[in-house]
Amino acid sequence: MKKLIALLLALVMVFALCACGATAPAEKPAEGTPAEGTPAEGTPAEGTPAEGTPAENTPAEAESGEGKVFNIYAWNEEFKGFFEKYYTVPEGVTVNWVITPSDNGAYQQKLDEALLNQANAADDDKVDMFLAEADYILKYVNADATQDITKLGVTDFSNTYAYTVQAASDPDGVVKGVSFQCCPSALIYRRSIAEDVLGTSDPAEVQALLDSWDKFNAVAADAKEKGYYMTASFAETYRVFSNNCTSPWVDADSNLQFDPQIEAWIAQTEDFVNNGYTLTAGVWDQEKNDQMFADGKTMCFFGPAWYFNFCMGNAQDPDKGCSGDWAICEGPAAHFWGGTWLLAPAGTDNPTMLADIMNTFINNEEVCSKLVSDEKQFSNNQKVNAKFAEDPNYGSAFLGGQNDVAVFSAMTDNIVWENHTIYDQLLNEGLQTYLQEYFKGTVDKETALKNFYNYVNETYPAIVTP
Amino acid sequence: MHSMNRKKPSAGKGVSYAKWGYLFILPFFIAYICFTLIPQLMTFYNSLFENYRDGLTQVGPNFVGLKNYVKLFSPDNSGTIGMLKYFGNTIVLWLLGAVPQILVALLLAVFFTSYRLNLKGQQFFKTVIYMPNLIMAAAFSMLFFTLFSPVGPVNQVLLSAGWIDKSIDFLALKVPVRLLISLMNFLMWFGNTTILLMAGIQGIDQSMFEAAEIDGASSLQVFFRVTLPLLAPILVYTIITAMIGGLQMFDVPQILTNAKGTPDRTSMTMVMYLNNYLQTSKNYGMAGAVSVVLFIVSAGLSLFVYNSLSRQYSQAPRRRNRL
Repeated sequence: MKKLIALLLALVMVFALCACGATAPAEKPAEGTPAEGTPAEGTPAEGTPAEGTPAENTPAEAESGEGKVFNIYAWNEEFKGFFEKYYTVPEGVTVNWVITPSDNGAYQQKLDEALLNQANAADDDKVDMFLAEADYILKYVNADATQDITKLGVTDFSNTYAYTVQAASDPDGVVKGVSFQCCPSALIYRRSIAEDVLGTSDPAEVQALLDSWDKFNAVAADAKEKGYYMTASFAETYRVFSNNCTSPWVDADSNLQFDPQIEAWIAQTEDFVNNGYTLTAGVWDQEKNDQMFADGKTMCFFGPAWYFNFCMGNAQDPDKGCSGDWAICEGPAAHFWGGTWLLAPAGTDNPTMLADIMNTFINNEEVCSKLVSDEKQFSNNQKVNAKFAEDPNYGSAFLGGQNDVAVFSAMTDNIVWENHTIYDQLLNEGLQTYLQEYFKGTVDKETALKNFYNYVNETYPAIVTP
Repeated sequence: MHSMNRKKPSAGKGVSYAKWGYLFILPFFIAYICFTLIPQLMTFYNSLFENYRDGLTQVGPNFVGLKNYVKLFSPDNSGTIGMLKYFGNTIVLWLLGAVPQILVALLLAVFFTSYRLNLKGQQFFKTVIYMPNLIMAAAFSMLFFTLFSPVGPVNQVLLSAGWIDKSIDFLALKVPVRLLISLMNFLMWFGNTTILLMAGIQGIDQSMFEAAEIDGASSLQVFFRVTLPLLAPILVYTIITAMIGGLQMFDVPQILTNAKGTPDRTSMTMVMYLNNYLQTSKNYGMAGAVSVVLFIVSAGLSLFVYNSLSRQYSQAPRRRNRL
């Protein structure tokens, strides 16, 4: 037995050593390559015929004077997959991904440390590009930690959607990043349940029956009568309201304020919970996901292309799922959810490559087309999206053949980007967490709000709560 | 000892060993000063400043005196003093886990060391009861989180057995959450305590037990009159370390409640509260103030436990003499 314990401990130690060692190799190639490839023309000349491809050589040549390690900070592997497939990294440059999950603000903490240390970091350790979500993009866009990308050579925004550029612009209109996707969020409904409740499953007719909150709330009662839930999470409609706020979370004097849209969400959810129109699960809870199976009783979900393609796994389950029994329409109000912006940190030592990546993902039509056709994204290139929207042969099997790109294209004009603050992510998250306790009946509303205010005080000392 | 050592060199023959003794304990004191004393003083110093980050903008450090402490102990608009509430939570969570932990560990230690029971396969049992401690607290919490979720296995079993007709959201209820946290801490630490106490009991001279038996003492009498008094120093040590660990409880409730101390912040411990200040805004001022309060409370409670239990221990021999 003692031997067994000794063996176990030894294994634990070996594992610990391996885990520590895993990050090291990433830096090694950087030291190796310059020795071979320092002359600008040396490397590309080997593989390609001398005359053939001047256009392709340009970025590689321009790179030669720049850093050899390109550090990208991200919170998941999504963009990494697209990057590795569709972007050709110049020779001699190693891409190093620093990935930290975003829960409880962990990604931002990691990123903040790196950005605040940017000036003192060695060239190979500098952040060269980082990813940010809509909820906290302003924190970086409004700070000196990011730089003007038009000066780096990203100047053509004629094909991108306006709100994605607004989101990445500081108060003076300086653009500091681009989004490789556009995330208009739709009402995703079960065709069979809609047929039962509304008498139709046709997207245009369903939209006509659900295009305002009054209609939506009335239908919820009908759904309940037939034994269905309208939504599966207390926070399912949160984004639809919060994206249409007419005032930011904090006013000019840093006072926390509740927008009428947020109040409306609270009132609607109270009504839904009291009447049993919704479950009280969180947006990402198992309890909600179980409703996506074929035997689920929930009619409506809300989400963009990435949501139904990548987060509704239960619905796509070959045995218990119900792929094809879904459709999308705009729903009661235009809104978006998420979206990943690529931001340009100040002080990067790879500005050319950075600009090249940004241009590739918004203006390279071939890449953008592949994002739509192969990766099921709604790209941030209007021309490419229009091509798919008009294609009668294009459709999503999951949505029963419906052309989702056409629906999303029509929605984008109504999306607004305004009234955002640097605090949005954790305020939205905190409000939902503490109000969930109220909706579940654990505490009364007053206590829930008091707990939310305490949370705000602890999280953001600068905000004054009621 | 020292005086003896000092005399010897004056005799001209011996070597001063004391000097080597001090040299050998020096590394500890250097490490202590660098990694414990200075940070402790710095924490106190930092707690007197307003010092946080608003987005990417640094605010402070501005000297504000004891303002952070005043803020810490001023009630919110419903009259609750956050700090006291979270301190209360911590104590409740600790007691719920520590009391059974020490009792069970004591019992197991006595069983394992009893030459009359002479249990077979002790190594096996010792390893098994220590096992939960090898699992990362985070993984352990996630396991319980999944087990007790509204659609988790526990609810499914209860539903299919017909004991409940609607799944119970355990993690939204105060008592179950507290019990779960205590249970996890108990499971993780009772093995460790058992091994410590076993070492303590094995350190007691066997002849004591034999003598008691010859005198006709029952097992209970042996336990209360011989084992317990002689075990007191180790027991005091165990209780104090368990208490300091308990006051610093963090990982299990943090993961189980996703850092929010749900429901109604009744499982928010002091260190989770501290972490709330530190995590997003790097609020060193407020976090420092919480740390200082935590330090004072830990030190005070430790002294109290040490004094009260040691006094009992020093009385114990007298009582035994009276036997």
